[in-house]
Amino acid sequence: MTKTFSTLLELPWVEKYRPHKLNDIVGNEETVERLKRIAEDGNMPHMIISGLPGIGKTTSIHCLALELLGPDLYHQATLELNASDDRGIDVVRNKIKQFAQTKISLPPGRHKIIILDEADSMTPGAQQALRRTMEIYSNTTRFAFACNQSSKIIEPLQSRCAILRYNKLADDQVLARLLEIVKLEDVKHNSEGLGALIFTAEGDMRQAINNLQSTVAGFGFVNDINVFKIVDQPHPLVIQKILASCTNEKNIDKAIELLDGLWNKGYSSIDIVTSTFRVAKTLPGIDEKKRLELIKEIGFTHMRVLEGVSTYLQLCGLFAKICEL
Amino acid sequence: MVGIDEFFKSSRPAPKKKTEPSGGLTAEDILATIPDAHLPDVVEDKKFNFFAHAKATSSTGGADTPEIPSAKENCLSGLTIVFTGVLPSLDRDAAENLAKKYGAKVTKSISSKTSLVVIGDEAGPSKVKKIKQFKLKAIDQEGFIRLLSEMPAEGGDSEAAYKAKLKREDEERKILQQIKEEEDAAQAKKLARQNELKVKQEELVKKAASSNRLPPEPVKEISDDEKLWTVKYAPTNTAQLCGNKGQIQKLKNWLDNWFDNAKHGFKNAGPDGSGIFRACLISGPPGIGKTSSAHIVAEALGFDVLEKNASDVRSKTLLNSNLKEVLTNTSVVGFFKAKDSNEHNKNDKRFCLIMDEVDGMSSGDHGGAGALSAFCRITKMPMILICNDKSLPKMRTFDRVTYDLPFRRPTEVEVRSRLMTIAHRENIKLDPTVIGQLVQATNNDIRQMINLLSTVSKTQKSIGSDEAKDVAKSWKKQTILKPFDITSRLLNGQIYLPNSNHSLNDKIDLYFNDIDFAPLMIQENYLSTSPLGVHTQPEHLERVALAADDISLSDQINSLIRSSEQQWSLLPFHGVMSSVKPSSEVAGNINQRINFAGWLGQNSKTMKYQRLLQELQYHTRLRTSTDKKELRLDYLSLLSKKLTLPLVKQQELGIEEVIDVMDYYYLTREDWDSIIDFGVGQDKGDVILQKIPTKVKSTFTRKYNAATHPIAIYKTGNSVTSGGSRKEKVDYEDVVDDDTAKDEEDESQADSSDKIDSKKDKLIKEVKPKARKPAAKKKKTS
Repeated sequence: MTKTFSTLLELPWVEKYRPHKLNDIVGNEETVERLKRIAEDGNMPHMIISGLPGIGKTTSIHCLALELLGPDLYHQATLELNASDDRGIDVVRNKIKQFAQTKISLPPGRHKIIILDEADSMTPGAQQALRRTMEIYSNTTRFAFACNQSSKIIEPLQSRCAILRYNKLADDQVLARLLEIVKLEDVKHNSEGLGALIFTAEGDMRQAINNLQSTVAGFGFVNDINVFKIVDQPHPLVIQKILASCTNEKNIDKAIELLDGLWNKGYSSIDIVTSTFRVAKTLPGIDEKKRLELIKEIGFTHMRVLEGVSTYLQLCGLFAKICEL
Repeated sequence: MVGIDEFFKSSRPAPKKKTEPSGGLTAEDILATIPDAHLPDVVEDKKFNFFAHAKATSSTGGADTPEIPSAKENCLSGLTIVFTGVLPSLDRDAAENLAKKYGAKVTKSISSKTSLVVIGDEAGPSKVKKIKQFKLKAIDQEGFIRLLSEMPAEGGDSEAAYKAKLKREDEERKILQQIKEEEDAAQAKKLARQNELKVKQEELVKKAASSNRLPPEPVKEISDDEKLWTVKYAPTNTAQLCGNKGQIQKLKNWLDNWFDNAKHGFKNAGPDGSGIFRACLISGPPGIGKTSSAHIVAEALGFDVLEKNASDVRSKTLLNSNLKEVLTNTSVVGFFKAKDSNEHNKNDKRFCLIMDEVDGMSSGDHGGAGALSAFCRITKMPMILICNDKSLPKMRTFDRVTYDLPFRRPTEVEVRSRLMTIAHRENIKLDPTVIGQLVQATNNDIRQMINLLSTVSKTQKSIGSDEAKDVAKSWKKQTILKPFDITSRLLNGQIYLPNSNHSLNDKIDLYFNDIDFAPLMIQENYLSTSPLGVHTQPEHLERVALAADDISLSDQINSLIRSSEQQWSLLPFHGVMSSVKPSSEVAGNINQRINFAGWLGQNSKTMKYQRLLQELQYHTRLRTSTDKKELRLDYLSLLSKKLTLPLVKQQELGIEEVIDVMDYYYLTREDWDSIIDFGVGQDKGDVILQKIPTKVKSTFTRKYNAATHPIAIYKTGNSVTSGGSRKEKVDYEDVVDDDTAKDEEDESQADSSDKIDSKKDKLIKEVKPKARKPAAKKKKTS
């Protein structure tokens, strides 16, 4: 490592490399394209952006607001509230309504923007109170919601908004961004390491970048071994191999061998069982009925492990039983 | 869609070839070449075609998606198609979309107007019966695909297709006309507005000139382009509202006659029964124009509208203080209008109160609903209440006092012309068949459709049916399903078929919609299905047994999750075992209405009996030496006999004996009742009580109460008189109620005193103890 100690104590990379322009946002091209058009033309509709964590929902809204209003007006004409702020019914009736009523001179086609981050954690009562406010002041104020589950937003609000769904980022999209950062930060790495980062992040850009930074801070070199040490999760591919050898080949010896590998690395049985459960839910190549039986066995082992019987024998028993199915 | 087809009606099955233009292919010609599908349980085999049957059975095996031929445009126009049963390889939704795309009308139930039925496996018996009853043409999936590939464009030259085409053209003409009208109106409005502004501006300039000041800034006007489409194209008159025409007319009549009714003191019900109500309640799902209708109707009749919605605090106190005075006011708007300018002069000084989102009253609005319903009885001006869900418990208070106007979701036909108008004015090419998909995706929510159009049009200027599919998918509203919907989806066989695109995660998500009720509902209803692919009773029984096994195992998991262990990481597994797996075993046609979980009722009954038993054990513990369970098993049946048989056999003479037994065991009169309640089978409470004449029973009660009886153990709770503990128990609810009651008293007194201000202000915390004192005092005096 050539870096001094002080440079390591900088901003988290997720903040340092957070995009500030819609152009820099990775993934969900079609939706972001639409946002770009809105940023050009103005007249932003009310919108709900929903999707999994770490795929750029909040970032897109901020970028959009910044591009719409420009840096000077941005602080004046936006009101941002997230789950850390009090967003009870009183705040909606007072603070938000007052902000909607204030007059700020903006260029034509631009409106004040109220950003409600993590809107799915707002109470239904508070959401109810937003309904008419959104309509009555729509000529001057527009709302943007970001949430993980759009079903937690009450139907009347969904009806008033354009709903934009963000999908998981594809692996190559994450990779492109990681490579950029790696280059800028001058990180030593190999391709297996980046592969492991992408694999463990499962389309979550924030997690990928965080893991990258932790790996660099901890080991200074990004390879798959170091990444899995940081992420500490039994490799899902290994688990998938174990399950495949149990269900398709009925080869218990091979399964146990792979299991030994995981066990000797020091993974606890609870980690192994929970990731087996997760892998089994989407394991390709088996029909639904068998999958349910599979899950039943895994689940009961999970129960026993939670009750305290977390021995190696339990895991062997589980895979032996799966072979029998 | 344009379904006017009665072509294949049973009454005139003869081909109409002669009346048609020569050389044209008709739907019937082609249908005639397609073999009939095999109808199950055919009593009298109409046209049984073994070839088709063999083909149908052989094609059920493969799950691969057949190649769907690219058919000609609108080739199914004029046909009314019903899909029933499980098609071998096409998803039902996909098939229906396909038919709609090519201009057919797809309905769910079979009637005489249906032109053909596409039948799959496991079709419901009632549907098959209907097919036979109406002598309809039934084809299988393969036939359907053949139909698609062979039909000429525009549905051939048949009469029905021709009619459909005419109707479509007619509709297009109408839309064009509407667009023109609207554009003219918008233009006229703009001109008028400009003139008005100009006049105003000139006046201001003149004024400024006369008083030697600088001319003021021109008034800024927000142009239409900056508005949301939902605002820009908000309906401005009743004709533009989509759907619910009847209800809007009713609302109009009611509002128009309101003051006439008021003269009669709301005694005459009138022809539609609306004359006795001072308020009306519009209810319906979001985005169908409830608020718009209320505003437009009120404004059309010349009322001055006052609106309160969920963004205003609407607690009982505030409603009392703010709204009460308003209800008797008159509007001053009328005074500012020229006398002859308005035809609704008589209404000019009148208010109309619109209370929006009444069901949105929540935690902050304590007692608001009750106060509002009280206003509905006494109001001196019309009130229009609007809510989404009238069936909520908190809305029940409005049931009797308001004129109920339920709004329905507008149908596709009602929405179409409006959407086409908007699309045309915004220069978007919108395929008419797409509207059906939009309607489906948004649950008939007009506002959402307009929002969708406005967003999509930012990047796409023409929307065809293929793009619409993607759009519709991503715009599908996600709401939390109700327990009944979860159950019907889980128990419906469709989602377990190999060609359905529901992954296991989707199914587990259904459980996560309501993790408390989904398992209970499945347990309640898993017996009322006929599983797919099961034909004999023993097979069915086996499936049920498997499901029951899973449900009981899930109980084990549940106890780990909810007990002191709190192992919430098992929740997905619980979802699989309690909901997904059992329903996968028995999923199929649901034969009965889905019942609500009976477990809750039974559970509370159990708790009640446990409590009674506990009490019995307390009372009898000096004479018995057992615990609760043993008492129930060993003592109670005998005691029950001892306590009732003398009354049955010796009538009044047996009373003495019974009371002796009761005193010996330290039982009270209530214990006597509960012991009888515990009886099962022959000794069931009702049966025994019937045997004892009422006269004997009442004498027994009188005699028992007349004497004093030994009591072994006093409950500690009862020995303390309630006076002391009461004071501390005064909770917020009481305080608020008494507070408002006090306010009403205060109102009659002088308004000027300072005390009232501080009391009305909810934010001042010190008021609470003050308010408590009168509350407590009141209780003592009463």
